[in-house]
Amino acid sequence: MHGKTGQQAQTRGARIAGVVSALPPKVIENDSFVERFGDGVAEVTKMTGVKSRHVAEDGVATSDLCFAAGQRLLEGLGWEPESVDGIIFISQSPDYPLPATACLLQQRFGMRTTTVAFDVNLGCSAYPYGLWLAMSLIQTGALNRVLIAVGDINTRANDPLDRSVAMLFGDCGAVTALEAGDENDVAHFLLGTDGRGGDNLIVPASRHRDRTGDERFAGRNLDMVYMDGAEIFNFTLKAVPALVRETIELAGVPQEDYASFLFHQANTFMLNHLAKKAKLPKDKVPINMDRYGNTSSATIPLVMTTDVADLLKSGRQRIAMFGFGVGYSWGSASLEIGPLKVCETVIAS
Amino acid sequence: MSEFYEGLAEILEVDTAEVKPELTLGESWDSLAIVSTIALIDDVYDIQVRPEKLADCETVGDVEKLVAAEQGA
Repeated sequence: MHGKTGQQAQTRGARIAGVVSALPPKVIENDSFVERFGDGVAEVTKMTGVKSRHVAEDGVATSDLCFAAGQRLLEGLGWEPESVDGIIFISQSPDYPLPATACLLQQRFGMRTTTVAFDVNLGCSAYPYGLWLAMSLIQTGALNRVLIAVGDINTRANDPLDRSVAMLFGDCGAVTALEAGDENDVAHFLLGTDGRGGDNLIVPASRHRDRTGDERFAGRNLDMVYMDGAEIFNFTLKAVPALVRETIELAGVPQEDYASFLFHQANTFMLNHLAKKAKLPKDKVPINMDRYGNTSSATIPLVMTTDVADLLKSGRQRIAMFGFGVGYSWGSASLEIGPLKVCETVIAS
Repeated sequence: MSEFYEGLAEILEVDTAEVKPELTLGESWDSLAIVSTIALIDDVYDIQVRPEKLADCETVGDVEKLVAAEQGA
């Protein structure tokens, strides 16, 4: 079934058991950009809301952050790595073009060679997509326990002189454990795509498609991320409020019964505007990007393990989540989560 | 129009009294101002305007004409 804003999907019989986010130890504050951007720092901060971000040191790959998160998660849940049937890695910054990072993580965690492992290339919409995918796999009965590893090392693809990205992004890896539940574990999803926006958020370097002569990227290092912030903002204004409305309708749960609405942490100004437009109470729309920036695929689990961790550990909560951006791709989920045995943020050593 | 002018005054960092159709957007009309104005127009008129059309505007009057054209569209 497709609705107005995306493909509608429902899963039954799978639940989130725990989630851990891992941040690299190095923190960069906005002060360090003043020399480069002058007064622009204050202007950009007013818009994005980012005051500091964790940045991976040279040599650290996305799988390192996901490994740190996953180790703590398995330990906290008391799950033996051999008991996990699948791992899905969703990222825009895999360790290598090939092989799949999920395969490397299978070996590193010490999971069985009879484990299902594969990568998915999505960013802002990664988390709702990942939950839908993993919960669907569990619902078929094929898999009982699945890990979703999301994360990005964004900062290495930031042009240091491009203020639209240099001060926005941060690095993070997060792992979520899912397992078979019962018939009360129902989740609703909406998933949509509009590839016309592909060029508005892109790393244009490609061995297969030469964009060197493209006026859009003139004078730029094609290995660095290009973002047309105004176009992305325009897209979210059109797409997200309708996605919020339809998600609430689809799940059939009154808006006031939601404990929290977790948005992809794209930009604080944008999130405040979207929350207001969607008529959501501000205190139920947590924003943590003042401390972590936009961590792409990891933003939603990072909100879970920071601002709403106590809530998710305290009991069963009705949660909605919304991921939207690069692709363009978007996804939403409405489900009950908790009480989570493990829901925490660690610093990857 | 006052809500719109108040918002524009904040974006352009001028007094509300200074905001009139002939006011030149000038140097403060950068990408952040354009994003803020997209949000302002969405707030006040529930219309989403294209960023490149806003970027082409030179005066407050140009922005108003753009909004009026979108409203009529």
